[in-house]
Amino acid sequence: MADRRRINAPSGGTSAPIFASTVVKNPKFLQSLRPTRTRQPDQLRKIFLKTGLTPSASGSAYLEIPLLLPTTAQSLIPSRSSLKLTCAVHGPKPLPRSAPFSPHLLLTTTVKFAPFAARARRGYIRDSSERDLGVHLETALRGVVIGERWPKSGVDVIVTVIEGEEDGWWGDDITAGANKGGGWGLMSVLAGCITVASAAIADAGIDCVDLVTGGVAAIVRNPDAKGKGRDDGNGEDSYTVLDPCPAEHQEIIATCVVGYLAGRDEITELWVKGEPGATTEKLVDRAVHAASATATVLREVVKEAVELKYRDVIGGLNGGLKASTFSSEVEMAG
Amino acid sequence: MATKPTVAPSLLFPRDIFAALSPSPFLLAHLSPQTQDTPPIRPNGRTAAEFRKPTINTSSLTHCSGSAVVRLGDTAVVCGVRAEILLASDIPNPPASNPTIRSSNPSNTTTNGDEDDATEVSSLSLLVPNIELATGSAPTHLPGSPPSALAQSLTSRIRSLLLSTCLVRAHSLRITYCPPPVTSDPEIPDAPPEEEVKAYWTLYIDTMFISLDGNAFDAAWAAVVAALRDTRLPKAWWDEDLERILCSDVVGESRNLELNGLPVAATFAVFAPNGGLGIVQDDEEEEKAWVLSDPDAFEEGLCLEAVTVTVDCTGRNSRIRRIEKNGGGLIGRELMKSVARRAEERWKEWSAILEKGNT
Repeated sequence: MADRRRINAPSGGTSAPIFASTVVKNPKFLQSLRPTRTRQPDQLRKIFLKTGLTPSASGSAYLEIPLLLPTTAQSLIPSRSSLKLTCAVHGPKPLPRSAPFSPHLLLTTTVKFAPFAARARRGYIRDSSERDLGVHLETALRGVVIGERWPKSGVDVIVTVIEGEEDGWWGDDITAGANKGGGWGLMSVLAGCITVASAAIADAGIDCVDLVTGGVAAIVRNPDAKGKGRDDGNGEDSYTVLDPCPAEHQEIIATCVVGYLAGRDEITELWVKGEPGATTEKLVDRAVHAASATATVLREVVKEAVELKYRDVIGGLNGGLKASTFSSEVEMAG
Repeated sequence: MATKPTVAPSLLFPRDIFAALSPSPFLLAHLSPQTQDTPPIRPNGRTAAEFRKPTINTSSLTHCSGSAVVRLGDTAVVCGVRAEILLASDIPNPPASNPTIRSSNPSNTTTNGDEDDATEVSSLSLLVPNIELATGSAPTHLPGSPPSALAQSLTSRIRSLLLSTCLVRAHSLRITYCPPPVTSDPEIPDAPPEEEVKAYWTLYIDTMFISLDGNAFDAAWAAVVAALRDTRLPKAWWDEDLERILCSDVVGESRNLELNGLPVAATFAVFAPNGGLGIVQDDEEEEKAWVLSDPDAFEEGLCLEAVTVTVDCTGRNSRIRRIEKNGGGLIGRELMKSVARRAEERWKEWSAILEKGNT
């Protein structure tokens, strides 16, 4: 079925290039490329967060988890992916006349991956995983926004994933063929979505009970790296890590994402994937820990943005007469 | 607004409310100067002929062969080029002309080669440009609906400009194979082995708008050109044993995409408060109109006539690659000349930034 509103791929169908070094049966060489986790199990990756990227929107934010080490460009195969998200918030705006009465703010969330977000090219039409993420994001935000203050209005939260987290190491896809389990990358993407949407909502000036942040924790098993982490009693060599990068772990047993309000100690969204068994509660605890670490970054960013926005007012309050120099001539004429 | 802590009783509207209530007189008041020595300044602080200063950042996306982020004032675009392989055996209806003949002469860069290139690239659809506006870039482009008319027209304009300028040469997209000479058959005299095209590189050019504040075409086109300039195609060959195309992941063996010139688009909007048909009534004074370079979203909403001039000054003499004009008749022959000159000036600005972005 061709999409007649877009330019389509050649009818013969195309395939991603296959690199010779991965085809030659040399598993040792391939394994040597496998990335490993160099962080402590409870150490998060650095976050870059900035608000006000889209001036045409009411509020916007950009989140990036940059690569720790700049990859030396020796190979054309991208070694790993970094997370890059943009979020735009439009509204609150009046609902269309045809819409039924709503006593509170209607929240619409959309999560869309760019075609170049992952190793395999993605389509323009939203697929089920993107819809799923949208629903999870809506759940996380719904409990935070004070919707009663905007009856008969709606707000759109749109997150674009410019670059997403991977579901696993690319070498495993080649050697094992089918990917085992999968979908681990979505968990980190969702946590990023929650944080970036929270920053954008704050930038838009929509009233919230608190700033919500996303956090991820995972139970992983690395057969090669014994004794590297704490033993959680779940297995002989499995341990819990915060902010997992799926490419760095050979096997992930379970992952948990929370949307967490650090100020009120509340969870608005909880998503557990895999088989955590008896350690579920502990896993959720660790995810909350990750979320509260992110909250400190988010608070700083929002505070900085507010200071920048209201610099004139703050300056005016401190400097008295200084404020009048900022007001335009039109006002003074009155 | 936050800048007004105290509300003074005022008989005049603040700036932004005036602009929202009566946009056209607002723009007119800005453009018609009160005194002779003050030049007309647009509400965004630029003069009529002033463009916004662009910034470019390349190679920021991991999963792309080439990528660019272009910022033009409040308009921001991300473009990623992905190269995938189209096997010649998978093409259902191969083009009528045999590509094997032309592939024997890859250095064919004459003008008639241009035409062949364009037909080959377009008939096989080796360039797949798409533009996405529904990323929350503007309140009028929200996701959940099919691509808007603007997105569709932008996509098709970018595609036709890519093809008509022959920016990407067909021979740089071919993956050829030279079979080893067959020596076992003594009957045939040593015919030179014929090179055949085994596959083509297909370039997916995806452009996402992060923020939209007017002049989408210039920004999108610049992002596409910058991303294509940044694109590196790996060395690819046909492996006879595996019967598939293999690529080398060594950066040193990859090559940059060979581009044909450096076309730059410049868009102008004509603000004509009296209709803009170009007809001057006898009893009225001369109709006033302004040609605004690089309009922002506010100005675009008020201007009916728009002109996009694509120029390429890479050679000794500059060439106009395309003129697109719609919505009015104020820009005639004389004005078009001055508009083209402004586009040439713009080309210098862009080319300096594009060159810098790639180093």
